[in-house]
Parts: sequence; C-alpha cells; structure tokens
Amino acid sequence: MAEKLIELKEITKQFPGVLANDRVSLDIEKGEIHAIIGENGAGKSTLMKILYGLYQPTSGEIYFKGKPVSIKTPLDAIKLGIGMVHQHFMLVPSFTVAENIVLGVEPRKNRFMMDYRKAVSITEELSKTYGLKVDPNAKVESLSVGIQQRIEILKVLNKGADIIILDEPTAVLTPQETEELFKVIRKLVEELGKTVIIITHKLQEVLALSDRVSVMRQGRLVGTLKTKDATEQILAEMMVGREVLFEELNRIEVPREEVLTVKGIKARDNRGLMALKGVSFSLYSGEILGIAGVEGNGQSELVEVLTGLRQAEEGSVMIKGVEATNKEPMEIRNLGVSHIPEDRLATGLSKKATITENMILGYHNREPYATKGIHMNKKPIRERVSRLIKEFDVRTPSQDVTADKLSGGNMQKMVIAREFSFDSSILIVAQPTRGVDIGAIEFIHKEIIKKRNEGAAILLVSADLDEIFRLSDRIITIYEGEITGEFKRREISKKEIGLYMTGKRKGMRQGGVQDEEI
Amino acid sequence: MKKFKNAEYLISLFLSILASLIIGAFIMLANGRNPVTGYVALINGAFGSKYNIATTFAKTVPLVLTGLATSISFRSGISNIGGEGQLYLGAFGAALIGITFVNLPGIVGIPLALAASLIAGGLYALFPAILKVRYNIDEVIVTIMLNTVAVLLTSYLVNYPFASEIGKMGGTEIIAEGYQLSRLVRLSTLNTSIFYVAVISIIMYYLLERTSIGYEIKMVGQNSNFSRYGGINVKRRMIFAMVVSGALCGIAGAFEVLGVHYRFLQHISPGYAWDGMLIALIVKNNPIGVVLMSIFFGALKTGSISMENATGIPSELISVIQSIIILFIAGESGFKTKIKSFLANRRAIKKAGEKNA
Repeated sequence: MAEKLIELKEITKQFPGVLANDRVSLDIEKGEIHAIIGENGAGKSTLMKILYGLYQPTSGEIYFKGKPVSIKTPLDAIKLGIGMVHQHFMLVPSFTVAENIVLGVEPRKNRFMMDYRKAVSITEELSKTYGLKVDPNAKVESLSVGIQQRIEILKVLNKGADIIILDEPTAVLTPQETEELFKVIRKLVEELGKTVIIITHKLQEVLALSDRVSVMRQGRLVGTLKTKDATEQILAEMMVGREVLFEELNRIEVPREEVLTVKGIKARDNRGLMALKGVSFSLYSGEILGIAGVEGNGQSELVEVLTGLRQAEEGSVMIKGVEATNKEPMEIRNLGVSHIPEDRLATGLSKKATITENMILGYHNREPYATKGIHMNKKPIRERVSRLIKEFDVRTPSQDVTADKLSGGNMQKMVIAREFSFDSSILIVAQPTRGVDIGAIEFIHKEIIKKRNEGAAILLVSADLDEIFRLSDRIITIYEGEITGEFKRREISKKEIGLYMTGKRKGMRQGGVQDEEI
Repeated sequence: MKKFKNAEYLISLFLSILASLIIGAFIMLANGRNPVTGYVALINGAFGSKYNIATTFAKTVPLVLTGLATSISFRSGISNIGGEGQLYLGAFGAALIGITFVNLPGIVGIPLALAASLIAGGLYALFPAILKVRYNIDEVIVTIMLNTVAVLLTSYLVNYPFASEIGKMGGTEIIAEGYQLSRLVRLSTLNTSIFYVAVISIIMYYLLERTSIGYEIKMVGQNSNFSRYGGINVKRRMIFAMVVSGALCGIAGAFEVLGVHYRFLQHISPGYAWDGMLIALIVKNNPIGVVLMSIFFGALKTGSISMENATGIPSELISVIQSIIILFIAGESGFKTKIKSFLANRRAIKKAGEKNA
C-alpha cells in the first residue's frame, strides 16, 4: 500500500448557521491524483481551505506523514509542502509573470531591491523543469485565463510544493485548455513525483484524470473509491444521494411567433476590437434557441447588446415589433426581457447585499412591494422572497444573510428565481449552469424548459455543448463574431457542430443550402 | 444574521472608542496630568450643566447635517469630499437673503434663506456629479478643489462687495431680525435649528432605509453593474445622491448663519464637513449612527474646552482621540480575525487538555 501522506481525521467546521464539514476523515497517498467531488456547498473547498490553513477546523486533527500537525496559516501549509491554486486567481494583474511567480519569496539584490533578472531566470528554470510554457516578461493582465492558471501553478511549485491542491481548476477553461491542464497534472505526478488533490464537480474529468475519488455531500464524506471502480452513474448517485437520470425533457408544441429580430449587429468588445461582425437572427416564442460557440467568439457581447448593456455600432434589435436598439437596460426589461448574466458575481448580484435585497431588484418600486413606487413595504417583500427561496430551492440559513455567504449554485438559483419570476416573454440566459452542481443543473434545466412550454422565447448561450444539445429547439453556431450555421434540433451531431464552431465550415443546412467548405 | 453582524459591529465600535480613550489617558499621563481629572473635566464640560448640554447639542447640529450628507453620497458610491465648499456657499446664500430681503417676516424669510442655501450647496455638488457620470472625471479631486474655490470666493465677497460697514472683519452685515433663529438656552448658541435638524434626520433615515430610492442608492454603491443590469438608472441615482449631499451641507452652512453667528463670516466652519465625513466613516453611513456619533463628537468638542480650562490639558488631545477611533475602526476586520483565531486556538487547546486528562 502506498504511503499515507496526509490524514484528515474527523474534521468538523461550523460556520454561523451552516455545518460546512461534519466529521470528515480522508487520507491522501503519496503520488496520487485524488479528486474530491461533490455538489456546490458540499464542503469540498472548506475542507481544502482547512488543509491549507485558511480556516481553522472547529474540531478534528490533521496528520502529516503520520505526525499530528497544526496548520494555522497558509505559511504553515507551505512549510509542509502543501500548495493551493484557488478557483479565483490571486495574481497581481499589473505585474509581469516573473514578478507574480516570485511574489512572497522574491530574490533580492540587497535589503531593499528585488533582483528582477534573477526572478526571470527562476521563472525560465521552472518553466523548463515542469514543461509549462510562459513568457516571464508578459504582464499578467494581457494573458488568457489558461495561462494565468499556469502561472498560479508555477507560483505554487516555486514555493516548493509537493502536494498541490487545485480548486475547480477547469471551471474557467476551454476544452482545449482543460486538456492541456490535464497533461500538466499527469506530468507533475508521473514524472516529478508530486501529489495532486483536485476539487471539481465534473464527473468526466474525475474519471479521465484521477486515481482515487472522494465524494462529499452536505458536509460529509460519502466515500472514497478507486477511480477504476467508478462510473459516472455511481459517482452522480453518491453526490446527490439518489438516482440521477438525465431524462428526456418534456416538450410541448407552443404557437410560434417572432418576438425578437436581430439584424446586422456590429459591436466592439472591451478592448475596442470588432466582436460582432453583422449578426442576424430571429427568436420565436415557445422555443429555445441555443448559441453554440467556443467562448470569446462574441457571445458575451451579443447578450450585452440585446440587454442594453453594450452599444451596437450598426444594426437593429426589434423586440415584439418595438425598436430596441441601444436602449437602456431598464427600457428593455420593460419590454418583457429577463436576463441571466454569464457572470453572476460581477453582474447578477451584489455580494454585500442581503438575499432579500438581491431578490427584490426589479420589483423594488412596484406595487405592492412599494407604495406609490417609493415607500417599501417590508412584509410583502419578505413574503415574496421567502416564497421564491422555497420555490427555487435556494439553500440559505436565512433571507437576511449577505449573498457572498451562498455557494455558487445557490447564488445562481437566487438569480434565476429573480429573473424567472418576472413573467417575461423573452429570457436571455447565459451560462446558466456554470459552476453549478448536478442537482441544481437538473433543476435549472427543468425551469428553463418549463418557461419554454409556457410560451416564453429563450435565447440560451452556453459553453457547455451538452447543455445546448439537451435544451435547444434550434441551434446557431457563432465563430469570430459571425453566425456560421443554423440547425434544427437533432439535425446535427456534436462532432459535426464542432466544425462550425471553429469556423471550418459555414453555411445554413436548412432548405437545401449547400455547405461551403473552407 | 444581519442583527448578529450589527451587534458585532457595535461591540467593535465600543471597544474602539474605549481603546482610544485609554490611549488618550496614557498621553495625559505622559504629560504629567491625571487622566481621571482630565476625563471628569471632559464629561463635566460636556454634560455638567444645562449650559454645557446646550453647547454640546449646538455643536452637534452641523455635524449631523454634514454626516448625513457624507452618508448618502458614500452609499451611492460617489464621494462628495466637497462638503466644506458647499457649506460655505450655502452659508453665504442664506446670509445674502438675510441682508437683502430685510423686511420679510421670519415665517417666509427663514424658508427662503434655507432654500437659497440648499440650492447653492446642491448646485455646487451637481457640477462635479455631472462631470463624473458624463465624462468619468474623478469626483474626489474635483470636489476637493472646489472647496478651495468656494472658501476663497466667499472670502473675497465678504471682504469686498459685501463687506460689513463697520470695518473689514471678513463678514457680512448682521442678517435681519426676522431671520435670526431664537436661542433656546441663555448664553449658549443652541437654537431652534436643532428642531429642523431632527426633522431632516428623520427624513434622511426614511429616505435611505425605507424607500426604493434609498434601496437603489445602496445597490448602486455596492455594485453599479448589477444595478444597471437590474434596470436602475445608475447615473440619475448618483447625481441625486450628490445633489442631496451638497444641499445638506448647504443647509449646515445656513444654520451657522441663521442660528449661531447671524452673519456670514469668512472662516465660518472649522471643518464641519470633514468631521461629518469622519462620523459617517465611523458608523458606516448609517443615519442613526450619524446622529448618535455626532452627539458624541459634539460632547468631545465641548468638553475638551472645559477640560483645557480646568486642567490645562490641551483641547487638541480630543482630535487625537477622534483620529485613533478612526484608526481602530479602519482596522476592525483585521483585529476581529486576530481575536477570533486567538479564541478558537484557546478553545482548541482547552479541548486537547481535556482529552489528555
């Protein structure tokens, strides 16, 4: 049997109102890739933060190489050779790669001056040893998410970590970047003898990558098993505690009526580059129109233009026959458009506001929540919010906690509860299940289908192709700001659609139009 | 949960004040004074007699207004650092009405003077607010600079075009009698403005905590992206908050003229807007907190003068204490984690001890 490197014994962590970890015992063997999976809020991150010294356990012990240790701060963890790459990167955007990597352990020329050249050579050395290519002199703010993650990993390695904890490393990566990351992880473990703990909730990743997998649910460890003995089905059931079947969603025919017409939209992204180069399509009531594309091909900008958050330079948007190009978000909402934004933390909610405050936005000046649009009435507001919390299964100790206390999945359910409760006829839904656990995904998908069956027109933007295929009645592909294809449900395979998403093929498949190979 | 948070904050606030008073005591000791006599003199000075209490409340009046002004602007995420300038213009506006329309009865004149100060202060804040939302020009820098402009402008006005005839003393003529707010306690400057301030405080509390406008202001300040996405007119709310903030500072100036000095003076404010800003920062823009903290600051100011007279401890010590409170509050979250982890450790050690035993 392999050497037990770390043993967590009966770890319990009590937060006010939430028992995040309940007597969790877990061991990590040397040289393994150990996946920890579980729904959002299952306590995976909390457990790892305890191991990394960011939280103190309420009770329980940690053994390192058979000896009890106390890890009070990340510095203690680093001394033991434990490093952590957080879900949200902790890099200084205006610093160069080399500066970020040596941050905290800077080489010095003398007491006061940092030796930048040494930092660069350290970075190059690391980069070579671990086969992670980076440009030491590039500024971090100009780099892609995948590269930034690479820098985080190098930073941890530079501090001499032998055990690397990766918290949801693939949440922000494209499929290609994920593939790259997995290669790196395998190399670290197989060739360099490191140990990797990876937190995730994507089952395929677990099966593809790990040696062993521990499943957590509601703060408890359900079990640890060898990956070769696991299947997606087994893991999913362990995670949610019941059988999960991704059943076929029930669709009913609803009268189709054109409600949104987009013609020749051109818009720039934040860097001033053309992100949309003349996009046209129509959206009908009672349908889900999926927009498939590799992230960064103009989807975000398209959603922003449609919801009034970004100015279009050319083209027009008509909502139910009303001209709505470049209108304010408020005016567009008043035309009956709801919006689930792709970035819930930056746009979908206010972290410092309470759940009540977050969920009443949009209703805060309507009767009966506000008399004459001014005087806010506490009682109906609280009743409405508690009803929505129940209806959408938002798990929270109370409606008065601030939103940042919720797990990702519950934050998303909160946003969806608010937006879907507007009775809008058009729903613009971007990345509805990003960073959300399986149980919640199923719930959210059913809510979306329900809205469709009630006659709403839904525009679905998602980087998750499975999601697009599962939900959409019609799919359009987008590549570099242009629409490259349009397909009916079940008319195209995932493999084939990939060609359109990467611009290798163009053209409509409807009405016998010939494909145009490029 | 929210209540729990508030209680936690109140405890740290109380501890901060206590700690700064203790540090104040050490400073007194280091200077060879007895801190007990010092603080007794301070409390006596602030609350020892009817006159002293009246003076404390008189000093509270401008602080409440400038504190509320800061609260509304900081809540909306736009920082009005120009309160001092708005106060000067408001004061001058009220004085101008008071020396121009001398025959008006008080019932018309006082509201007119207040309206003038409100408009002067509000307009003076509107300008940087528009620059901010239209052209994204930093309001902090603009409002700071506008302070100097307003102070120097009014100083010029009262030394030249509006100088009083009894000589250049840097003030206007006395305002007409109808405008003078009556004094409430003999010898003290406490006047009826305190009733106006009470009403204004209630209105501001209602506006900030109970209305959809207050809600929108808070959301805009917390996350303007979220607010815009949710259909709030972010720019309009920012401008509104800034203008109300300026108007409150203007009114603070008016009360100094109508209630205290009965004329505009070129150094009419010893930095009321800055004190108001400190107060708002300490109580995290909570309107009730502003009122209570203003009374506390008013008491410190009043008491410190008696303390200096009685014991020779310089009244400047009080500024030191005020600043230390701010320091502690600024470090609040840091201290809190330290204390919490210390307590958690203690518990862990105790538990381990029990286990071994």
